[in-house]
Amino acid sequence: MADKVVDIADLAVTDDHDSTLVTYSLGSCIGVAIWDPVARVGGLLHYMLPEGAISPEKAKSNPAMFCDTGVPQLFRAAYKLGADKKRLIVKVAGGSQLLDNNGAFNIGKRNYLALRKIFWKNGVMIDGEHVGGSISRTVRLNVADGKFLIKTREGEATL
Amino acid sequence: MSVMTIDQIVNEANLPRLPDSAMRLIAVINDPNSGMNDIIETIRFDQTITAELLRRANAADIGAGRSITTLDDAVRVLGTGRVMRIAMAAQTPTELMKAQEGYGLSPGELWRHSVGVALMAQLLGRKLGVGNQGVLFTAGLLHDVGKTLLNTHMRKEYAHIVKLVADRKTTFLEAEQEALGFSHPEVGARLCEKWGLPDVIVRAIRYHHEPDALTEPDETVDLTHVANVICRVMGVGGGDEGLLVRANADVVSRYGLKESLFESLGAEMVMELKSIQKVFTGTGEAPDAR
Repeated sequence: MADKVVDIADLAVTDDHDSTLVTYSLGSCIGVAIWDPVARVGGLLHYMLPEGAISPEKAKSNPAMFCDTGVPQLFRAAYKLGADKKRLIVKVAGGSQLLDNNGAFNIGKRNYLALRKIFWKNGVMIDGEHVGGSISRTVRLNVADGKFLIKTREGEATL
Repeated sequence: MSVMTIDQIVNEANLPRLPDSAMRLIAVINDPNSGMNDIIETIRFDQTITAELLRRANAADIGAGRSITTLDDAVRVLGTGRVMRIAMAAQTPTELMKAQEGYGLSPGELWRHSVGVALMAQLLGRKLGVGNQGVLFTAGLLHDVGKTLLNTHMRKEYAHIVKLVADRKTTFLEAEQEALGFSHPEVGARLCEKWGLPDVIVRAIRYHHEPDALTEPDETVDLTHVANVICRVMGVGGGDEGLLVRANADVVSRYGLKESLFESLGAEMVMELKSIQKVFTGTGEAPDAR
């Protein structure tokens, strides 16, 4: 089975049923996995910041870095491979916070709120999530069956 | 509790000292009177770095349609900042490339984190107009080198540490301290003392988790601390220590740091890290993807 690694600030979509999309070490970043059970198309995004407005030039050259530019790009790329919005199953992981952030680092929370906002605007439901806390997560999407596996220091979970 | 003492661990470390060329480069970078020519002289006899710089310079200069054949021209095309980063990253102790299972770090992850912190410390220094760029890079690159010495010991205590962290909501450092009796910043600082590295770098390694343990604030310590926190927040190679660290409120307020600054500099750091990864792996992915 081929493991396709999705780097930080990057995304991948595939219709190769045998492949697995994986992204490592989600801290305050968020991994968004989408999967169409009929077209058997899967996609995974690893974005790091809520809004591209912080750096319009980077949002243009590297849209997967931000929630508000990366999420639309992920969905569009999946549609191109035959995915249908109505069938897409959406799973989310990440958005951790520092153990002690002294109020200065709320990126994890803001990353999650930005996602809720864009999903709400576009009528997208989250089918499963593993977010928050102070834990680092590695996630895998099996394109064959849409299973979303989350691995942390404390163990493994499947959504 | 570990039966090894910290002295035993540092003295019996089977870790090769930094290559002589790296030691010379650190000395040159730390010397405020040295310039780019001194850096060129230091790397002139290192074929790996020279080859890499020529390759990069020719790739960068395609538009001009000329071929770069000398180190001096390569340095001119790439600029001092990039040359130094490539040279330093190439001199990284190979131990940083290996997996450190006791810290939940896969192969290449500690290297990635170390380079990320080095870049971030530099970016912060430049933005805030404090510190010496070369010193900040070196301090960032070596801040976690102690983990390579403690890895075996941490593996034995792994279950205990995971439990301590889960039960008590403590930082990873505090759990490490409790399980072993000492922790990676102190071990890394002792190792770098043994290597004869400048005090400013040893200090940054020793206090990168506890900048307030110093009586006088130290810019290199402060920025290494913040750079480490930002890299962890951004998920750059933190391993199991991950987000289980504390951000020091005094340091944050000392420089008037805002989250928007962390975001924009964090974005820059990640882009640069990706381009450096490309140099070393040809893929832009973490070295373990090789």
